[in-house]
Amino acid sequence: MKAHLMSCLNKVRADYVEIRYEEIRATEIHYVGKELERIGEWEEKGGGIRAKLKGGWSFVSFNDLESLEKNLDLAVKQARLLRRGKIKLAPVAPHDEIISLDLGKDPRRISLEEKYFLLSRYNQILLSPEDIQTSDLKYADTHTIKYFVNSEGTYIQQEKMDMTLGMTAIARKGNNIQTAHEGIGGTGGYEIIEGKEKEAEEVSRRALSLLDAEPFPGGRYTIIVDPKLAGIFAHEAFGHLSEADFLYENKRLARIMRLGRVFGSEELDIIDEAPIKGEGGYYLYDDEGVPAGKTYLIRQGKLVRRLHSRETAAKMGEAPTGNARAVSYEYPPIVRMSNTYIAPRGKTLEEMIDEVEEGLYVKGFRGGQTNLEMFTFSPEEGYIIKKGKLGKKFRDMNLTGNIFTTLSNIDAVGGDLVLFTGSGGCGKGSQYPLSVATGGPHLRIKDVVVGGR
Amino acid sequence: MERILDQAISEAQEAEVYQVRSQVKTVKFQANRLKSVDSASEEGIGLRVIRKGKIGFSSTTDGDDPHLLIQRALDSSQFGQEAHFRMPSPGKVPLVNCYDTRTAALELQEMIEEGEKAIHLVRKKFPYLECEAEIEKMEREVSIINSRGLSQSYKKTDYQFFLYGFLAREEEFLGVGEEESSSRYRDSSRTLAERLIELVSLAKRRVGISSGKYPAIFTSKAVPLLLGSLKMGINGKVVQKKVSPLLRKMRTSIASSSLNIVDDATFPFGPASSPLDGEGIPSRPTRIIEKGRLKSFIYDLQTAGLMRTRSTANAARSYDSLPSPSTTNLILKEGKVPFEEMIKDIKEGILVDQVIGSGQGNTLMGEFSVNLDLGYKIEDGKIKGRVKDVMISGNTYKMLKELAAIGSGARFVGSIRTPPLYFKEINVVG
Repeated sequence: MKAHLMSCLNKVRADYVEIRYEEIRATEIHYVGKELERIGEWEEKGGGIRAKLKGGWSFVSFNDLESLEKNLDLAVKQARLLRRGKIKLAPVAPHDEIISLDLGKDPRRISLEEKYFLLSRYNQILLSPEDIQTSDLKYADTHTIKYFVNSEGTYIQQEKMDMTLGMTAIARKGNNIQTAHEGIGGTGGYEIIEGKEKEAEEVSRRALSLLDAEPFPGGRYTIIVDPKLAGIFAHEAFGHLSEADFLYENKRLARIMRLGRVFGSEELDIIDEAPIKGEGGYYLYDDEGVPAGKTYLIRQGKLVRRLHSRETAAKMGEAPTGNARAVSYEYPPIVRMSNTYIAPRGKTLEEMIDEVEEGLYVKGFRGGQTNLEMFTFSPEEGYIIKKGKLGKKFRDMNLTGNIFTTLSNIDAVGGDLVLFTGSGGCGKGSQYPLSVATGGPHLRIKDVVVGGR
Repeated sequence: MERILDQAISEAQEAEVYQVRSQVKTVKFQANRLKSVDSASEEGIGLRVIRKGKIGFSSTTDGDDPHLLIQRALDSSQFGQEAHFRMPSPGKVPLVNCYDTRTAALELQEMIEEGEKAIHLVRKKFPYLECEAEIEKMEREVSIINSRGLSQSYKKTDYQFFLYGFLAREEEFLGVGEEESSSRYRDSSRTLAERLIELVSLAKRRVGISSGKYPAIFTSKAVPLLLGSLKMGINGKVVQKKVSPLLRKMRTSIASSSLNIVDDATFPFGPASSPLDGEGIPSRPTRIIEKGRLKSFIYDLQTAGLMRTRSTANAARSYDSLPSPSTTNLILKEGKVPFEEMIKDIKEGILVDQVIGSGQGNTLMGEFSVNLDLGYKIEDGKIKGRVKDVMISGNTYKMLKELAAIGSGARFVGSIRTPPLYFKEINVVG
């Protein structure tokens, strides 16, 4: 493959060209209630070419490797349409590396039958309580070999296995329908999703308990978030804002997001770190062939770095961070997070609750979104806190805040960091779902708007 | 394709081969100028079999080596769901306008010029606004053959234009997006630029709003926030699993008597128009809500079989997925009240255009609680200015019953065609 890609590449005339080619094989099992919606294996092969001539990019994706040379020509032809300006790329030394699979239990050596039995067991557990009306249970093991070659002499071959298990239980009592979800995932072997009977039981129990919770009336509160929500908070309420592609060509924004700006207290560190083995956002080289590392975005409350592609790094005169990622060969790489988390400090959950006169303790994760100024995220459940004591349970909340002010409202950071990969992923533009992990310890945040019913 | 089918039915009772070939061209503008030109060609095959009464499936992008594809599909059938349908035999296929030769012939250069024009129009009015644009055309050819002699194919085009304007002031961002999509090409640069300019102009002034209940108008762009729940509720699969709140509501009143909604894949040049569904069943309109009464759910073959009813030709799929029920063009019939009249009718209320955080709550039950990304305060029949930093919440099913008026001037927002809607009450938390 290396020789073939290199020889095709050498014939191309452009400022810069790269080829990515991927071979993907997956097994999927999907239950919805008692019915097995899907079971089986599939495969997909395809490539993407990115070429640069002067002021812009041209991107071509294809399935048939035999059409590579034709598609390289097309990429160059298209690039000629972008006449104006000039794009610079931050320099990166050429790499030549093969990263092979490093697994525990290889799911490819486990029969479809065995996987089927495991999933059927989980599904039975999900469905067993009387008021659980239906389930949604999704398993996938996805094996990918990704080849990368560029006109600067880099060749990287990365092999990985992604495991995901999504468990949803839907409870119903009369006209009241409640959902609970648990996502388990990571890069590695079959053991990631084995032995999750307890988690399945727990999901159903949570769905049932939501039937009895009351909808939350809404208001402004001091909130305590669990590690799952803290991770989403790191991702939605700050992570996206640190992606340089939305500000590198906008002077006003670059000024607003100047390095050194204080966002939070000295207790606050937010980090993006791809090379954490086993996590969903694990990789050693990004999709531009740049080595990945650990990037402090916020250190002791101050903005210290941001996430870059080679283009955004060059434009802003900063070092590349290895955060250019594409969701698949069908898309060009753009600036994305990998494993993003808030670093732990010393406070315990008990202390945090104890100090609250009136507030909410929120747990579990339903979803989150940002428009780079405001963010929202939804917990699965919440408990009212009165005079340092946990009280009644509520449901149907959506939390919102302003990114610029909310981070400084974090007034306590816990010590219990947990990273979550989950079974979904992050979406940006049309690129969804990209596997990422998010995490943090328990956090306390003042003055958060909680939308309810 | 025939070879795959023949080989598959030598070991299965029934089989179906679904093939998609597509070509997509996209031009992207960033920071007011052309940034990237993309092409994507895709080709894939899905094979569905029924063996010993059970469904098997697999897919590949490599059609040259069908052996593995067939083996995987057959293997998966031993664990597969019991089939509650037979593959359809050929039916009478309606003539549906979903292929536009003008779109097919459209040059990249023309698309680039349109993007430049739209951005120029916006920047002439607001030089400090940073614009993005994405213009995309697609050509797709879909073929379906099955073991009961069905052999159909159709071609489809798509044209999409997305324009976005962004303004960052210290801690106050304004982002406005406008989109047009259709099977048919139409120069949308001016329409989109004008809509965007209007929304930006109205947002110049900031006004406050106190928490409480207010009447609300949803622009066409905002209506899908509400209809997301309805799309789930009428989905045959959700109904079959007994988690739709519309269960046992058939033929009863679930909305204001002025509301009519049809699912219609035959709508001329709609974004989701096609002559066939994903299983080769001829497209036809399905009345979902008529005069406020629930008329039908939507089904594919398997879900219809489980529910002992007939497919409504709503099987959606790509080559790498099994069919599943989904709406096509969801058409909310427009009313007679012009937008300006609705605004005039409100003493104190809000206009909702963009939100963030949708789909995070209990969507199944119709509940939503979202941040108002772009919204306006209405006072004494006039749009006063932009409202931000508030959450709005409500319940789709409750609101559809309390519709104050249905606007005139429907347009497609994605594959939902809707006019603006005026509701009696929405909850605002500030």
